[in-house]
Amino acid sequence: MADVLVCGWGELVRGIEETLTFGRKLAFALGGKLGALVLGEAPKGISDLAGHYGATTLDTLSDPRLAGNGADALVDALVQACRAGAPRAVVFPQTFDARLVAPRLAGRLGAPIVMNAINAEVEGGILRVTASAYGGDTHAVYEVAKEGPAILAVATTAVRAEPAPSPTAPTLRELAANLSGVSERIRIIEAASAKGPRLEDAGIIVAGGRGLGAREHFALIEQLAEAFGGMAGASRPLVDDGWVDASRQVGLTGHITRPALYVAVGISGASQHMAGCAAAKTIVAINKDADAAIFKHARYGIIGNCLEILPALIRAARERRQAEP
Amino acid sequence: MRIVVCVKEVLDPDAVNSFAVAGRLVIGDDGKSLTQTAIPRLMNGFDEQALEAALRLRDAGAKATIAVASIGTDPSNILRHAAALGADEIVHLPADPSTLDGHATAAILAAWIRSTGAADLVLCGRQASDDDQGVVPALLGERLGLPVVTVARAVALSPSGDAVRVTRVTPDGDEVVEVSLPAVVTVSSEIGTPRYPTAARKLQARRMKPLVVPTDALGLGMADLAPKTRLVRQLVPALHGHCELLTGAPAEAAKTLVERLAQDGAI
Ligand SMILES: Cc1cc2nc3c(=O)[nH]c(=O)nc-3n(C[C@H](O)[C@H](O)[C@H](O)COP(=O)(O)OP(=O)(O)OC[C@H]3O[C@@H](n4cnc5c(N)ncnc54)[C@H](O)[C@@H]3O)c2cc1C
Ligand SMILES: Nc1ncnc2c1ncn2[C@@H]1O[C@H](COP(=O)(O)O)[C@@H](O)[C@H]1O
Repeated sequence: MADVLVCGWGELVRGIEETLTFGRKLAFALGGKLGALVLGEAPKGISDLAGHYGATTLDTLSDPRLAGNGADALVDALVQACRAGAPRAVVFPQTFDARLVAPRLAGRLGAPIVMNAINAEVEGGILRVTASAYGGDTHAVYEVAKEGPAILAVATTAVRAEPAPSPTAPTLRELAANLSGVSERIRIIEAASAKGPRLEDAGIIVAGGRGLGAREHFALIEQLAEAFGGMAGASRPLVDDGWVDASRQVGLTGHITRPALYVAVGISGASQHMAGCAAAKTIVAINKDADAAIFKHARYGIIGNCLEILPALIRAARERRQAEP
Repeated sequence: MRIVVCVKEVLDPDAVNSFAVAGRLVIGDDGKSLTQTAIPRLMNGFDEQALEAALRLRDAGAKATIAVASIGTDPSNILRHAAALGADEIVHLPADPSTLDGHATAAILAAWIRSTGAADLVLCGRQASDDDQGVVPALLGERLGLPVVTVARAVALSPSGDAVRVTRVTPDGDEVVEVSLPAVVTVSSEIGTPRYPTAARKLQARRMKPLVVPTDALGLGMADLAPKTRLVRQLVPALHGHCELLTGAPAEAAKTLVERLAQDGAI
């Protein structure tokens, strides 16, 4: 088996390229090879993608018990794959599911674990992993012991995807695992059914924060989002106070987004908020406080009262839309 | 039933934010500690919400004793806060969290829970706001052989009392799951603002002393406590802003912004 194994399941997730990049660099630093492991049905195009990022092997492990992506089956399959292949590191894109599966795997293997990883280096044979902490206000460097594979989950919005200098054609292999003993301990009573598009996939997001002042002003955020052809998001206080649904929350513990354009309105730019939008290509800040942290992240800024600026911006955006052929 | 809530004392993350924004967050001589003494220490927000979840179960009629435990050098303030809110037992497990990793933390919590004759429900925060790792609950679940349900916005006891129904906040919307007890459940901010203690209970709790249970009394040795990941350095990343401020009356600034975004191909 490969020395560094990037693992995934379900649909291709945003951030898989970044995770493969992280994995390839780690494999290089360890003087080993990068491989990919897909649990359950392999998504289309995964082999090309893995090769594009330098994976030399693509392992698939399928079993009817993996069909629902239940955590018990995933963990069991991963434990068996790790025991059989003895990789030096197992790397996950830090998805919602991986936030549970990765540490459970570490628990089963008694292996070191680091979440929120943004960089890995090897010095004198010792693996050092940098992870964000305090929402990103600090970076913590952890020295990782050699017992068991290092289990790492990558904060993919903080990593840049770089294809391999020369693409590989991964060797395809089918792994076997015995999952007959698995029965999921968690029973799904009502499945999640998101209505409409997800913030994760939005190209444009207009987000409102506490600076909006009142619940009814969130309508302005929705109007601007619509005028730009994007989605409305929010900072956590708006969710905490019940102004908007949790499905709107952008940030460390909300949605991790990567839009082309992120307009932050009345948002101070706390690290935990930025963890969910710092990967945006262009950030625009509208805030009355010239010293707000958000201006340190923004490409464009308007200092002023958002309740005056938003209506003007909605008008300007609509006018431009109408002028478009 | 017996509910255990695991709480960690952390540096106030809002204060850490403010120091960072002001460029005054500095790392101490050891190269890894935040030394700002002006930053208050408090109960990790999600842990306070985990305690709130326990209290709501009791409000809803569950006959539950609530034990709150914390690994730390001196977490008596947050434990007294827990007592003021309604915890029946407060337990201090002495160790310095900065020298532990998730495995060692889970080892101590698991050994203590076992020593007390198990728990029906273990509630944790979804993650600690200092290291943001969110691994202890899963590691604890594996050690105790219990299922782990993460990111709850609501926890309710089943009518039979031998299972909990948990509403999870997933990226695809809410998911409702059921899990038989005993189990570990992590709680997220969506559960809502935790209650405040009454002045009378606060006064009462001030006199309460946490029960101190040393790690060696739990039969834990060096090997259990040796971390597999060790913090060797902490740094404050520099932010290089290059924000172009658009000035003028709202209409003018708005127009310029839309033009710029169109030129850049952002809209
Ligand atoms: C562990 C943890 C996880 C967290 N996870 C998240 C998360 O996922 N997402 C998240 O968003 N937060 C999260 N937070 C909270 C985060 O730290 C901040 O508290 C939060 O993001 C602040 O929201 P805000 O910017 O809307 O409010 P504030 O910080 O109060 O900022 C309001 C801003 O509005 C400006 N303003 C006020 N009035 C006006 C006006 N009329 N016009 C223009 N501007 C105005 C002010 O100058 C200020 O900058 C988390 C915190 C912790 C500890
Ligand atoms: N030192 C500690 N004492 C008690 N509980 C803890 C401690 N550290 C972590 N926990 C629990 O585990 C959760 C996740 O912590 P972490 O994995 O460090 O992010 C916290 O929200 C607490 O519920």
